[in-house]
Amino acid sequence: MATDTSVVAPKAISMADYKGRVDPDWCPGCGDFGVLAAVQKALVELQIPKHEVATISGIGCSSNFPGFIETYGMHTLHGRALPVATGMKLANHAMTVLVTGGDGDGFGIGCGHFVHAMRRNVDLTYIVMDNQIYGLTTGQTSPTSRIGMKTKSMPYGNIESPLSPVALALAAGATFVARGFSGDQKHLTELLKRGIEHKGFSFIDVFSPCVTYNHDNTFQWFRPRVKKLEDNPDYDASDWNVAMEKSVIWGEEIPIGKFFERTDLPTLHGAEPVLSAGPLVHQNNRIPADVAKTFIEELM
Amino acid sequence: MRQLCKGNVALVKGALLAGCRGYYGYPITPASEIAEAAALYFPQVGGTFLQAESETAAINMVYGAAATGLRVMSASSGPGLSLMQEGISYLAGAELPCVIVDVMRGGPGLGNIAPEQSDYFAMVKGGGHGNYRNLVLAPASVQEMADLTILAFELADKYRNPAVVLADGFVGQMMEPLDLEYREVPQPEKPWAVKGTPETRGNLISSIFLEPDGLEDHERKMEAKYLRAQEAEPRYEMSYTEDAEVLLVGYGIVARIVHSAVEALRRQGVKAGLFRPITLWPYPSKALVKAAAHVEKVLVVELSNGQMVEDVRLALNGKVPVEFYGRGGGNVPSVKEIQEQVLGRVAAAV
Ligand SMILES: Cc1ncc(C[n+]2csc(CCOP(=O)(O)OP(=O)(O)O)c2C)c(N)n1
Ligand code: SF4
Ligand SMILES: [Mg+2]
Repeated sequence: MATDTSVVAPKAISMADYKGRVDPDWCPGCGDFGVLAAVQKALVELQIPKHEVATISGIGCSSNFPGFIETYGMHTLHGRALPVATGMKLANHAMTVLVTGGDGDGFGIGCGHFVHAMRRNVDLTYIVMDNQIYGLTTGQTSPTSRIGMKTKSMPYGNIESPLSPVALALAAGATFVARGFSGDQKHLTELLKRGIEHKGFSFIDVFSPCVTYNHDNTFQWFRPRVKKLEDNPDYDASDWNVAMEKSVIWGEEIPIGKFFERTDLPTLHGAEPVLSAGPLVHQNNRIPADVAKTFIEELM
Repeated sequence: MRQLCKGNVALVKGALLAGCRGYYGYPITPASEIAEAAALYFPQVGGTFLQAESETAAINMVYGAAATGLRVMSASSGPGLSLMQEGISYLAGAELPCVIVDVMRGGPGLGNIAPEQSDYFAMVKGGGHGNYRNLVLAPASVQEMADLTILAFELADKYRNPAVVLADGFVGQMMEPLDLEYREVPQPEKPWAVKGTPETRGNLISSIFLEPDGLEDHERKMEAKYLRAQEAEPRYEMSYTEDAEVLLVGYGIVARIVHSAVEALRRQGVKAGLFRPITLWPYPSKALVKAAAHVEKVLVVELSNGQMVEDVRLALNGKVPVEFYGRGGGNVPSVKEIQEQVLGRVAAAV
């Protein structure tokens, strides 16, 4: 029997619907378990039927995500999940398209695509399980590893500055920018719901500790540091400048929550005139006889 | 000094002895230990290690550093090599020496992380665009991971061309005794390099030749050096070939298994021999023709669906029937399996 864990009155769609056919092979205690549960919960609370959802990922421990959730899924190339998802969204924009992956996948090898997907305001929800390390390849430095951190590829300590994914997303024009923590399920689920509902590119950077290879940024390390923006009633998520200022704060206090949202920009599929007739995949793609005739005449 | 060493680590030790002082890479299984050993050892001898944001970045860092005449390298596995192909074509076009290592895993696509020999086409036949060749060396032991890497740096400089060490996941991952002596590996003068000195001020590194005649000249010049390499550089190893009636051909880890199979077959009275190419480009075609001159049949064994076998057929040009046996996905033929292949479909005719 499926158990309904949603906060709303009895619903047709339950957690059991989104339970994957394969159990996650993540290490016991990995932060990604919390992200998976929060994504499933968000989809249930939003009552989105699973056949309307696709989960697209690159390569990494976190990128194994589509295998563990009962939606359509694609496990693609390292760093290329966003272009694959863009292709899927343009082919069928009726789908809710989630993109899942890691910090190496998204901010290292895939960073160029990250910037352009945001610039285009593709209507995707991009969830990065940010553990400040390369987990799958067993513990090398990532673009979000802190200075001084010792890893297999930086045995004498990292000498490079990490990038701030939130600041980068704001600079690249993302229309929804948030940060969550795998250790705070309720808060993360809310952020995911808002992100999925947002029309346009929503980016949710999630602190999702790698318990096996990152011994610096652990659950215990994050827990006292993360401070919710929502706790400040005066925080205005429509103010880009304030969001930018908050995005680079890192130390004893690290802000999480919704940094920024704007709803005045069209999505990529919304701005594409030919898609106003409906998803490409459901359109009749025969060329009308009169158009074909003019076409051929033009080519002559 | 004799030590027990992992193939991937031996390769880094060889690179350091060869005077390589720049490493730019990106993690990938089963090649990550090369980057990790480079990260550990390069700074100890005054070299730099950088973990790039992708293999595309890594190969272009190689491009930039190689232009200064420094001995530099990168290493990866299948998917990473696909991303490097663009840069390798530019390095070859600009005639820059460098060493690139491919510790082959299973493919296509993401495949898996188990050993295969399925990047032969990509690395030996090109893979990047345009008229160029890679010098390709195929180690079969931990010792050769070091030795052939040193040779790769020498050949790269000699021909001003990228040299590839094409290893399989087994040779990269296994541990064996390694003998290394400290020795000065002489490095040639590089008057073409861009060194930031008054003498090299006028040097220009470029692969663009807009005039048709200019590009044709450049490509002819490259072709001439490739012909020189084809004359001078083919390397191979043979065992039991003098009186062989069946010739087995394999490279890398496969050659080790085939060697045992040949000995087992000999004990059974089957006159089998082994031909192991060490350079995959230039391919030791002439030597192979000689080795196969009196055999009844040739059996090529690979961890692929049949890639090097095309070069064997090309070399033998129909003179001897060439059969093929391949395994994939990380499966390796056992000695017995190869023996049975020989007995079943080859020796029957002998
Ligand atoms: C082109 C290419 N290069 C390298 C790899 C090897 N690789 C797989 S996952 C990964 C990084 C994983 O780190 P991250 O994205 O942070 O995910 P995590 O495992 O930490 O969740 C790498 C380098 C690959 N699959 N493809
Ligand atoms: S290695 Fe790290 S990121 Fe990967 S499953 Fe284990 S804990 Fe999670
Ligand atoms: Mg990671």
